[in-house]
Amino acid sequence: MMIELYQIIAIFLGLVAITLSILRFRDGKMSLGMLIVWFLIWLIVIFISIFPNSTNYLASMTGIGRGLDFALILGLLLSFYLIFKMYNKIENIEEELTDLVRELALQRRNMGMEEDDKVKNKSENEKFADD
Amino acid sequence: MKIFVVVPAYNEEKTIAKVMEDLFEMGYEIIVVDDGSSDDTYNIVSRIIKEKKHGLLCRHLLNRGLGAALRTGIEAALIEDPDVIVTFDADGQHDPQDILSVSRPIINGDSDVVIGERNFKQMPSSKKFGNEVMNFITMIFYGIKVKDSQSGLRAFNRKAAETIIINARDYGVSSEIIGEVKRHNLKLVEIPIKTIYTDYSMTKGTNTSEGLKILAKLIMNILK
Repeated sequence: MMIELYQIIAIFLGLVAITLSILRFRDGKMSLGMLIVWFLIWLIVIFISIFPNSTNYLASMTGIGRGLDFALILGLLLSFYLIFKMYNKIENIEEELTDLVRELALQRRNMGMEEDDKVKNKSENEKFADD
Repeated sequence: MKIFVVVPAYNEEKTIAKVMEDLFEMGYEIIVVDDGSSDDTYNIVSRIIKEKKHGLLCRHLLNRGLGAALRTGIEAALIEDPDVIVTFDADGQHDPQDILSVSRPIINGDSDVVIGERNFKQMPSSKKFGNEVMNFITMIFYGIKVKDSQSGLRAFNRKAAETIIINARDYGVSSEIIGEVKRHNLKLVEIPIKTIYTDYSMTKGTNTSEGLKILAKLIMNILK
């Protein structure tokens, strides 16, 4: 069996990505669920690079024809799905950030403009401290 | 009758002082929302409020866009038990006299929401195109036809201010407000207002590229 350059690159990339995922998981920057998802994705990439012909079976089963086409289409769909999820997540974070900024703006409105306000805020803080 | 004027301001150090002085002169309650300006807007506004011992200032620590600033201003106004809430642009394009014209239908109980309709015939063509596109888009996406969907001068009664929920953070807010009016079956009228076009106000607001951005955003909202 001839080993092509693309196979070496893909296997190398997959291993690097898996290592990075594990490191991020250990630092608490990635959840266990996401680690498993990424682990599986990169394992599939490595598997397909080692056994490119294995996709022929899936390709003929789905009617796509060539094995490589199947892998590319699958990869594209998966990428789109991930981008979509990411977009939604960012949108949610933006919304939460806005809510936070608004809440701060409302709570601290006219802060430091009137002496009365300062006193009021202070006594409120003290009340919280007592609780 | 307590009329609260909400002025969202983002980097408006050149015009905000004049706008505030005009509004104070006419005796309105003012709420300025500084939307994370990087210029001197915050300091100018806070100095004026301290001097006059009047007015409210809310500061967004980060820039969150026109829609977010309007919602903050309206929520701040609702705390103060208002009868009418008016939104007023900080770039000096509105005539303070028009606040009374847009508030009148609300005071008389004829309407829940009033939009100050700018005269498209006097509008520079670069702005006119963007605004016409936005009127069209508002009609397609929200099914309501208005003469000026993007006007910054609006008035709400208390009920409308409490029911309308603004989610759009950017300039799409103007269309969203109109959509909310329809969704909650509120009464809407448009009252002609004057617009003061200066070189400065020309560089802001709904131009063609801003219109295209709003369009992209609206399509994204549908796909979500």
